[in-house]
Amino acid sequence: MADRATFERDAMQYAPQLYSAALRMTRNPTDAEDVLQETFLKAYRAYDTFEEGTNLRAWLYRILTNTYINRYRKQQRRPSEVELGELQDVYLYRRLGEEAGASVSAEEEVLDRFVDTDVKDALEALPERFRLPVVLADVDGFSYKEIAAILDIPIGTVMSRLHRGRKALQQKLWRLAEERGLAGPT
Amino acid sequence: MSRGCEHAVEYVYHYIDKEITWGRQVRIRWHLRRCNACCGAFDFETRLKAVIRQRGRDEPPPELFDRLRALIREESARSDGQ
Repeated sequence: MADRATFERDAMQYAPQLYSAALRMTRNPTDAEDVLQETFLKAYRAYDTFEEGTNLRAWLYRILTNTYINRYRKQQRRPSEVELGELQDVYLYRRLGEEAGASVSAEEEVLDRFVDTDVKDALEALPERFRLPVVLADVDGFSYKEIAAILDIPIGTVMSRLHRGRKALQQKLWRLAEERGLAGPT
Repeated sequence: MSRGCEHAVEYVYHYIDKEITWGRQVRIRWHLRRCNACCGAFDFETRLKAVIRQRGRDEPPPELFDRLRALIREESARSDGQ
């Protein structure tokens, strides 16, 4: 068993971001905390196997992701996990340009009108296999290589899921903008 | 859309993620200097990524740290007792 003080000193600093990632995965604060607690317990028990000098943050995210998947994947095998349809590249930008006929600056202003819950809802609406890479890349700032190690999938799969997930996220943000009239002139 | 635009759009995410080969990066930079449409799209994607990063995160409840520490302490005491 690892030294408790060392583990707390090294690992606890990542608790806030791990909690937030768990919340995007489970979409519910109680489940997020359950997953996080199990993650910390597993990490503490396995801390002797962690190689010092390697990426502790990515190691913790890998345990978090595995914990989430083991707990929730079975109940989440739903038809909604099907492939996303083909979407246009730079989807949101193009739609804003087409529909609003907006200038570049107006398109960027729309981004400022999205509030935190818009972004969180759009992330949480993504099917899981796209949601995890998008959260790990865009919110947590991991590299493709790190995401491949965390999710235990090939790097090519990371790229295709991430890129398609982002397009789907943009489609969702576009719908939100449309519903709320965010895309029109101010 | 020119071939330069097609190439730029194909690699837009690799570019903004800085996960791109040097050759492609140079080609895209060269193209962006000449193409306002792609420049606007690239700026937008870069801003959007920043917006998701800023607004996609939640703060944990303040008691979370205490609960985690208590959990680890309990586990530590249990293993010491064995």
